[in-house]
Amino acid sequence: MQIREATEKDLPTIMAIELECFANDAWSEDVMFSELMAKHTFYAVVLEQEQIVGYGGLSKLPGSNQADIQTIATKPAARGQGFGRALMNALTSKAKELGATEIFLEVRADNTVAQKLYKVFGFKKIGVRKSYYQPDNVDAFVMKTQMNYSEPIVLGIESSCDETGIGIVQGNKLLANVISSSMEQHAIFGGVVPEVAARAHLEALTPVLDEALNKANISLDDIDAIAVTNGPGLAGALMVGISAAKALSVATGKPIYAVNHLVGHVAADVLANGEVVTPTIALLVSGGHTSLLLVRDLLTDVQLLGETIDDAAGEAFDKVARVLGLAYPGGPQIDRVAKDGNPTAIRFPRGLSLPKDMQEHRYDFSFSGLKTAVARYVEVLEDKGEPVPLADIAASFREAVVDVLLSKAIAACKEYKIPRLLLGGGVTANARLREAAALRCEFEEIELRIPPFDLCTDNGAMIAVLGAQLIMSGAEPSNLSFGANSTLQVTKVQS
Amino acid sequence: MYCIALDTSAGTTVAVLKDDVLLVELNFAENMTHAERIGQALQDVLTKSGLRATQIDRVVVGLGPGPFTGLRVGLAAAQFFALGAHAELVGVCSLDAIALSFYQQNPDAGSLLVSTDARRKEVFWASYHGVSNGMPVRVLGPNVNKAEDIKNYLDLDAHQTTDLLVTALALGQIAFSESKTELGVNLDVSPIYLREPDATPGKGKRVSS
Repeated sequence: MQIREATEKDLPTIMAIELECFANDAWSEDVMFSELMAKHTFYAVVLEQEQIVGYGGLSKLPGSNQADIQTIATKPAARGQGFGRALMNALTSKAKELGATEIFLEVRADNTVAQKLYKVFGFKKIGVRKSYYQPDNVDAFVMKTQMNYSEPIVLGIESSCDETGIGIVQGNKLLANVISSSMEQHAIFGGVVPEVAARAHLEALTPVLDEALNKANISLDDIDAIAVTNGPGLAGALMVGISAAKALSVATGKPIYAVNHLVGHVAADVLANGEVVTPTIALLVSGGHTSLLLVRDLLTDVQLLGETIDDAAGEAFDKVARVLGLAYPGGPQIDRVAKDGNPTAIRFPRGLSLPKDMQEHRYDFSFSGLKTAVARYVEVLEDKGEPVPLADIAASFREAVVDVLLSKAIAACKEYKIPRLLLGGGVTANARLREAAALRCEFEEIELRIPPFDLCTDNGAMIAVLGAQLIMSGAEPSNLSFGANSTLQVTKVQS
Repeated sequence: MYCIALDTSAGTTVAVLKDDVLLVELNFAENMTHAERIGQALQDVLTKSGLRATQIDRVVVGLGPGPFTGLRVGLAAAQFFALGAHAELVGVCSLDAIALSFYQQNPDAGSLLVSTDARRKEVFWASYHGVSNGMPVRVLGPNVNKAEDIKNYLDLDAHQTTDLLVTALALGQIAFSESKTELGVNLDVSPIYLREPDATPGKGKRVSS
């Protein structure tokens, strides 16, 4: 006996069995075809000596916890040999895999053989539909089984930049989120050194995993699946997480999902707020990224509206901090110094914000010119021997960054008529960005969401929860041959 | 004792051994596809040897030296494979594995210089003098130097060289042999980098003239 997913080619054989089994009320070939082909259905055929002897179908809508067994049939000549049971097994397993917690079916009141089989699978009669089967005028029993199902436990591994993150989620629920940062090791260089980051990942892997398992109070054997960032990010850093994740997948026999780092930042909102309300505009700002996204659906429709054409916003903070003689990382230092400064003291340029930029770069960012403008401003004062007003420069620089980030994000909300803005990335720790975002979004009647900081910065939990969403929507695992893709497009949610 | 051995210090080599006997080995020469290869290679050696991961008692990994990015792939994979399979994790110097293969083929050979490409006109190298209990005896190294400078450390004329590559089989055999000695296996699985990260603290430079 063999079971496999049905294909279009099986249609004639399936129809022949359908007509043989349900002479009076068989589905038409058109109906059967659309059932087989529908995205939300799963049809299986059971074969004996390479001949199809039965089939069954399941319907499970994404996001719903309920599934329906649509039909199940075995050739009369092949009954009593366990084919029906094998089909039921396949369908209920698939329902479970797709995240269903309840399965429903209807059965003819006079078909006691089938009812017996369903009872084996925990189905209980919950109602009667009078005269459901026509023209025979037979009642249908509605049966339901409750699966002792729990949402998938997913381990997420993130190593795209200088944070080694391992997170564990169960469905939408956060169990652990452990992050080890190599930031201090980069401080003397004034920015992330890829080789230093990759070395630190390798050292952090096992301790971070141990701590995550401890916090979640589970063992590796409890994990249902593994998710890992495969891009975008630093290739050498990504490879550490990818290799570890693949080996863990093979060693535990658990499926692996290669997911997109940027979409992971959006998915973090699931952990913070239970779901990502779509459509939404998402602004992701970190030391490595400055991206404006239009998210119509977390798993199937993420569009890049714009991104930085040179430095990331976080990088600009680091570079300007150095110009001002402040420590790395620059964000918190500039925040600290700017507190006493006047944000309107110096009018620093807003990159790509002129009317001429609106054609090609409406939603793109540029911070390189801003950094140079700050450096020049400081040099001119120093050359004249005049004091450098650190607080005003820091405040004015920060205002320029925040202004251009929010202006473009809010413009996107308006243009696409989407009254929702989600912030993500490490720069969301910036006090002024949070404050200005809150003010401007309130004024524009835009709902603003900023997940807690350890879900905003690079972390494994966001990768795990994106993996969990994929699993619950029925996505197939990734093939083991994926590699690191440092320029992975945001449209590619899973590789 | 079943052992999975792997090394990504040059190409990708993965093997399953029963004690010191090879069950299956896969080798991929390319030196840029470690991360793509490693998962499927681990899966394939298990499948071909007919073993489940939980039957693996020991994971042996080549510690290098070798180009860093590729080297880390093997080390990261070995760490998490061992954790997932509840197996012991052991490290072996990759150059030792090359030396073992050489002496297995040339049992009467004397001194050996093993060197591999370290890029930037340098080589990773180690020298050996014959075998003891079947295992190569390392005299010098591992080190990284310009190729022409190795003569400052040893008499090149007195050393044979080899173009053999590291094999996972040899790694597994070394670990098996070590496990029977008093010192035991090397549980330190830190990579042998031999070079600091290539970065220097930058100086701020003027933007205006």
